[in-house]
Amino acid sequence: MRFNKLLLIFFIFSVGTRVSAQTWVVPDDQKGVVASFKFTPDMQKQGEQIYVKNCQSCHGQMGKDNWAKLTPPPGDLSKEKAQVQTDGELFYRITAGKVPMPEFRNILAEDDRWWVIAYIRSFNPKYVQPNPVAKAAFTGRIVTLAMQYSDPMKKIVVSATEQLKEGQTGPAAGVEVMLYVKRYFGSMQVGDIKTTNAKGEVMFEFPADLPGNKDGFVEVTARVNDPKSVMKTTPANAALAIGAKTDKPSLTDTRAWWSVRSQAPIWILLTYTLSVIIVWGFILYIVYSIMKIRKLSKG
Amino acid sequence: MTMDENKLTFDKITADLTHHIRINKGFLLWMGFLTVSLLVCLYAYSLQLRNGLGVAGIRDYVTWGMYLANFVFFVAASLIGMLISAVLGLIGMKWLTPITRIAETIAVAFAAVAGLVIVSDMGRPERLAYVFLYGRPQSPILWDVTVITTYFVLSLLLLFLPLIADMAIIHRKVPTLPSWLKPVYKFLSLNFTNHPEQNKIINRSIRILLILLIPAALSIHTVTSWLFAVTSRAGWDSTVFGPYFVSGAFVAGSAAVIIAMFFFRKNYKLENYLTDMHFNNMGKVLATVSLVYLYFNINEFLVPGYKLKHADAIHLQELFAGKDAILFWIVQLGGLIIPILFLLFRRFRNPMPLMLISAAVMIAAWFKRYLIVVPTQEHPFLPIQHVPQNFVHYTPTLIETLITIAPFILVLIIITLISKFFPVIPLHETAVEKGVDHVKFD
Ligand code: HEC
Repeated sequence: MRFNKLLLIFFIFSVGTRVSAQTWVVPDDQKGVVASFKFTPDMQKQGEQIYVKNCQSCHGQMGKDNWAKLTPPPGDLSKEKAQVQTDGELFYRITAGKVPMPEFRNILAEDDRWWVIAYIRSFNPKYVQPNPVAKAAFTGRIVTLAMQYSDPMKKIVVSATEQLKEGQTGPAAGVEVMLYVKRYFGSMQVGDIKTTNAKGEVMFEFPADLPGNKDGFVEVTARVNDPKSVMKTTPANAALAIGAKTDKPSLTDTRAWWSVRSQAPIWILLTYTLSVIIVWGFILYIVYSIMKIRKLSKG
Repeated sequence: MTMDENKLTFDKITADLTHHIRINKGFLLWMGFLTVSLLVCLYAYSLQLRNGLGVAGIRDYVTWGMYLANFVFFVAASLIGMLISAVLGLIGMKWLTPITRIAETIAVAFAAVAGLVIVSDMGRPERLAYVFLYGRPQSPILWDVTVITTYFVLSLLLLFLPLIADMAIIHRKVPTLPSWLKPVYKFLSLNFTNHPEQNKIINRSIRILLILLIPAALSIHTVTSWLFAVTSRAGWDSTVFGPYFVSGAFVAGSAAVIIAMFFFRKNYKLENYLTDMHFNNMGKVLATVSLVYLYFNINEFLVPGYKLKHADAIHLQELFAGKDAILFWIVQLGGLIIPILFLLFRRFRNPMPLMLISAAVMIAAWFKRYLIVVPTQEHPFLPIQHVPQNFVHYTPTLIETLITIAPFILVLIIITLISKFFPVIPLHETAVEKGVDHVKFD
C-alpha cells in the first residue's frame, strides 16, 4: 500500500515536471531578481546591438511580428506576452534558455543580458524599472591559474591561487583543471581533468609529437572546470615551444590543381586561355565575314 | 515516295517549305498554352527565389537533385547538332540536308536553356557572373560555363548562316509572312542577292563552324561528365564517363530529332521532303548510337561490379536490386535494350513506330540522368550524424518538379518559334541541291 502511494506520488511528480517542462516555469526565487543598475539610453543602444546579433534571427525585428517559424513560436518580445513578465522572469529565460531558445548563460555576460532587457523594455511605454538592488558580494572561490613548462620533468605545471580574506592569496587546492591546445578548428583537450593538490598544483604530460608551428610553439590554455559557475576563475594561456616543429608549406603556396586562382598551374592557364582565344577568334572572324556579306550585294 | 524531280520548280519548293510561315489560330493556341504553363512554373520559381532552395527536396546529402539531372539532360540533347551537322555532314551524307536545320534548332534551344537550368539549382542566382569573375581555371565548373557558352554561340551561328539566303527569299516571296516581320527579315538577310562572293563567305563560314563544332560539342559533354567524374564517389569515379556521356547524348539527341521530324512533317505537310527514307536512316543512326551507348553502359557497370569495392558494392546493390532497381531496369531495358532490338527491323523504322520508340528513349534518357546524379549522393563516404530522414532519402517536391518542367516548356517555345517563322527545311540549300537554283534577286 505504502509502496503504491509512493509510486503515485512519483507519477504525479514526474507528470508535473513534464508539464512544467512544456510551459517553461520560472522558479519563484528568480522572479523578483532585478538589475543592479538603472537602465540608461546608452544601455538600450548597447542592448539593441546585442539583440540584433544574438536574438533577431529568431525573434525578428522588434514590433514587426516577423519571428522565425519555430515550435514553440519565439514571439515578438515587444508584445504583451513578454512585457507582462517581471525583469527577473525575462532575465531567467534569457539566462537558462529552453530548446530551441538557446541558453545565454555562457554566451552573454550578465550585464549584456540586462542591457538586452533594457532594450526590450524600451518598447513598452508603461514600463517602470523597479529599484536596482546592488549585487550581493560574491562569496564563492576566486581562482586564478598560472602555467609553466617544467623542462626537467617534461610536464606542464598549472598552479591555482585563490583570493583569501583581506587581499591575501594562497594556493587553491581541490580545483578541477582542464588543459587545451589550439588546433586548426578549435581547441583540443590534452589528458583528463585533474584536481589540484594541497600546493594548488597539477601536472599534465604533453605529447611530444603534437605538431606545433615551425619553431615548435603551441598555444596552450588551462581552465578551471566549473560547469555550474560557482567560482570566478581566470584561465592561463601560454605559447610553449613543446610541440613538434612543423614547417609544411601551405597547400596554396604552390601552383596546383587544388590551389587558389592565382596559383593555377601554368599549363592549365595556357591551355584554357589559348583554347578560348582560338575558338573565339574564329567566331569573331565569322561575325566579321557575315558583316561583309551585306556590302557584297551589288557587284 | 520519290519525287518527280523534273516537275520541281523553285516556286514549288518555296511554297512547300514556307506555307506554314503565318500566324494562325493553332499556333496562337499552342503558344498560349505554353505561355500559361510557363507562368505556372515561373510562379513556382518565384517561391524558390523568395524562400530559398529549401522548397526543393534537395538537402545536405543530395544537393544535386532533379535540377542537375535536368542540366545534364539538356546539355546532352543539345549535342545532336554536332552529330548531324558536323560529323555526318562533313562526311558528306547528302540525305541529311533536310534534317540539319531541325538538329540545329534542337541544339540551339537545348543549349540556350541548359544555361538557365543550372541557374535553377542556385540559391543566389544573381551571383551567376561570379563564376566568370572569380572562377578558377582549374575548375571544371569554369570550363563548363565556358564551353556551353561557346557551343551555344557556334550553334546559333550555324543556324543563322543558312538562314540568310532563306530570309532573303522569304521576305520577297512569302505573302503570309506577317508584315511587321518583313523589315526584320530584310535586315537579317544582309542584302543577300545570291552573289557568288556572298555564297562563298557563307559556305566557308559554315565549314569553319562545322569543324569548330566537333571539339566544342565533345568538350561540353565531356566537361559536364567531369563535374561528376573528377570526384571519387561511387558511381561517378570513372574514367569512361566522358564517352559514356557523349554517346548517351547522341541517343537522346537522335530521339529528339526523330520526334521533331515526325511532328514537323505532319503539321507542316513535309511528306515530300522528310520521307520514309529519312526516318529509316535516322532509325539506323539511333540504333547505332544506342549500341555504342550500350557498350559504355556495360563497361560502366561490369568493371566496378567485378571488383566490388565497398562503396561501389553499395551503389550497385541499390541500382540492381535495391531502392532504385525498378527505375533502373525500366530505363535500361525500356530506353536502351528493347529499342535497339526493335530498331533492327525495317518496319519499326517507319515514321510512327520510330517516333514512339524515340519518345520512350527520350523519357528514359531523362531518368537515366536522374539515376546517374542522385543515388550516388545518398551514400556519402562520411555520413552526417543524427540527420533527419529527408536528408538520407531524396524526394523531389512539387515546386521542384514545376521548376524542372519549366525548361522543357521554354525549349518547346523556342523550337516552335524558330520552326514557325523559318523553313524547317533549308530552303536555299534544297533548291541548290535539286538543281533549281535559278533564283534572281533584285
Ligand atoms: C534559436 C532561436 C532563438 C534565439 C536565437 C533566441 N530565442 Fe528567445 N525564444 C525562442 C523560442 C523558440 C522561444 C519560445 C520558447 C517557449 O515558449 O518555450 C523564446 C522565448 C524567449 C523569451 C520568452 C518569451 C515569452 O513570451 O515568454 C524571451 C524573453 C526570449 N526568448 C528572449 C531572447 C533574447 C533576449 C534572445 C537573444 C539574446 C533570444 N531570446 C534569442 C527562440 C530563440
